[in-house]
Amino acid sequence: MPVARKSSPARLVIALSVAAVLAIFLLYTSIAGGGNPSISPSELGKRTEKVQLAGLVTGPVRGDSHAAGLRFGLRDIDGDSAKTVSVLYTGSVPDLFKKGRHIVVDGRLRNGVFVAEPGSMITKCPSKYAPKSSSA
Amino acid sequence: MPELGRAALVVTLGLSVYALVAGAAAARLGRRRLAYSAQNALVAAFFSTLVAAGVLLAALLRNDFSFTYVARTTSEALPTAYTISAFWGGQEGSLLLWLLMLTGFGAVAVRLNRSWARSLVVWVVPVFAAVGVFFSFLLVAVASPFATQAAPPDGAGMTPSLQNPYMLAHPPLLYVGYVGLTVPFAFAIGALLSGQLDERWLVATRRFTLFAWTALGIGQLLGAHWAYVEVGWGGYYAWDPVENAALMPWLAATAFLHSVMIQERRGMLRIWNVLLVILAFSLSLFGTFLTRSGVVNSIHSFTQSSIGPWFLAFIAVVVAFSLAVVFWRLPLLRSPTKLESPISREAAFLYNNLLLLALCLTILWGVVYPLLSEAVRGEAVVLGRSYYDFFLRIFGLPLLLLMGIGPLIAWRRASLRSLATTFRWPTAFALATGVVLLVLGAGSSVPGLVAYTFSAFVAAAIVLEFARGTRARKALGAASWPRAFSSLVARNRRRYGGYVVHAAIVLLAIGIAGSSAFDSVAEAKLARGESMEVGDYTLVYRSLDEQQVANATEVRATLGVTRGDRDLGTLEAGKNAYTIEQQVSNEVGIRSDRLTGEDLFVITEQIDPDGTIYFRVFVKPLVNLIWVAGLVFLLGSVITLWPDAREQRRLVSRASEVGVPATR
Repeated sequence: MPVARKSSPARLVIALSVAAVLAIFLLYTSIAGGGNPSISPSELGKRTEKVQLAGLVTGPVRGDSHAAGLRFGLRDIDGDSAKTVSVLYTGSVPDLFKKGRHIVVDGRLRNGVFVAEPGSMITKCPSKYAPKSSSA
Repeated sequence: MPELGRAALVVTLGLSVYALVAGAAAARLGRRRLAYSAQNALVAAFFSTLVAAGVLLAALLRNDFSFTYVARTTSEALPTAYTISAFWGGQEGSLLLWLLMLTGFGAVAVRLNRSWARSLVVWVVPVFAAVGVFFSFLLVAVASPFATQAAPPDGAGMTPSLQNPYMLAHPPLLYVGYVGLTVPFAFAIGALLSGQLDERWLVATRRFTLFAWTALGIGQLLGAHWAYVEVGWGGYYAWDPVENAALMPWLAATAFLHSVMIQERRGMLRIWNVLLVILAFSLSLFGTFLTRSGVVNSIHSFTQSSIGPWFLAFIAVVVAFSLAVVFWRLPLLRSPTKLESPISREAAFLYNNLLLLALCLTILWGVVYPLLSEAVRGEAVVLGRSYYDFFLRIFGLPLLLLMGIGPLIAWRRASLRSLATTFRWPTAFALATGVVLLVLGAGSSVPGLVAYTFSAFVAAAIVLEFARGTRARKALGAASWPRAFSSLVARNRRRYGGYVVHAAIVLLAIGIAGSSAFDSVAEAKLARGESMEVGDYTLVYRSLDEQQVANATEVRATLGVTRGDRDLGTLEAGKNAYTIEQQVSNEVGIRSDRLTGEDLFVITEQIDPDGTIYFRVFVKPLVNLIWVAGLVFLLGSVITLWPDAREQRRLVSRASEVGVPATR
């Protein structure tokens, strides 16, 4: 900290700023909540709160994301859990989406189907810089 | 050939270890010849790294697939330019680039400063060498770019989205930025170790810091433009961890570039500056780690990449060691002067620093939060876009306002009355702008309106400064107004270059506010001949064409665009299907209005076999100001960086009065 002996306004300024930042932080977390848990399909279980689901797309991919919705399965990217969650998705589909890709969607489980929020899908780049063979 | 590359890296490692050990011993024992020897070893390490880089580049250009690295990152069909970009397309190659730049920067910084700041430079050499040891060790033992295999018939090729001119410039510029921040770090730690905590280390590194900071800034804007034009989701920044990785060190370096002026002028903020440099360097290591380690790709598993743990350990060592040295030298870092008033130039800079740092640290918190929450609660929690947007507004808007206030306020102590006089016109202009915009309907977004109003304030303040200075030069006898203006800038490049950079940030703020707070979007499924409206544009879907090119099938829809009664011609948007890579990419249609800076941005979300298309269309007002801001930013940086022998002499002579803070 930039210091000076007592009576310098610097300390007061910094102390007040730190306090202000903490206050803003608290304000934020109280109005906006703390974000969503990011989990894998095998961890979803019967949980019905809003989560971010990250997984590997399994076929068959059916439907129209701009009509009744796109349907596909998601399973864990690594680990040997065979559990697959069926997903219903509407809205923009990124270019890289297809069977075998890693994707992330926000949404919640409803009657056994994970209903994603429209437009929430993110495909993980097949690694932004690394060769594609390593991610396929 | 791979043996030569491997040998060159081993030599680099040896030279770095020697420069570290001999350099440290020479500095400790005051052995002059040994210190020179260590410096020469650092320079030699650059050349041996250059040999290794040459070997890799040659292998890439020859498509020598017996190099595992070459086979993984390129293919026979890849154009030469992208074959070169494959150098930094993979982990090992980009580490090699890091090392090459590091030893290069180290050699240049040491050679340039060793005559006038010899007693400081002897301590800087071992710091550079220590960083060099880490990277050359990684390259020799953990992630060698010279691993070999039985050559496959063809390489794996490069992802289509990386086969793009932006990827030739964007990653290396970021690396220049990351690595360049090693220079101020090495000099700061060198100064701490030597106990000579006068302002010489600042003078020695100012240009390097500015250069690295400029490269990092331009690199990020190029990345944003790439995302906007090529990735085609309708935005330019997504608060992705990899993007944040570059933004954080840039923010820390921005804070440093400002607070450094306070130390030069008033001898204050010494501890603060050292801490900022350590933070900036650690964040640039962290940035390299994030982009390189795969933590981002699969945020769940830390151990996937071989270099991740090494990097984390190195960052921990750097932070711990640096803080220990700072703590050890605390008594020497006490400032001889102190802040006199909370309303003064110094105080304004301090507020600027606190805001920049707060923004930087909240972003850092957002990036590491998933990892932390996973460690604590066993479940990763992700903070979304709203988190970052919230804090950008909370900290960014006051920062914008301060940019207008700081440069105009008096040093040491300013009276409220003088403030009222100084800011009369900018305030009036800003308020007038705000009212006019409100009448025009900009009240739909309060943060956007505030951003515009603050931008007007800063712009007015900058114009006022230039006008005042030019008038003064004219009064002092400049022949003409343009002459007066150019001599004003030439005589104080740092100050007026800085104002130009501020103007760029204003443009950036206006562009971001316009395109994110006042944009409109519409979606519709259209058959041929149907039309849709977005904003005051009308789009008619006219025809669909398909074309076969070398590596892809290109499908393009042609749309007629009108605005009111005016026919604005046609716009094409569609998709490319890459056959070999089995990948589809959106090719967006963008129509930029040169006069207003507004973009009409068309995405063909989905093309059905019968030719109906689901369109998603944005109107993004003022978005082009963001790219203009990049050019203005570059201009300002060049003005500031331009060699100025007179200023350098002044700074050197001022700084060599050891311990005397330069006050004027």
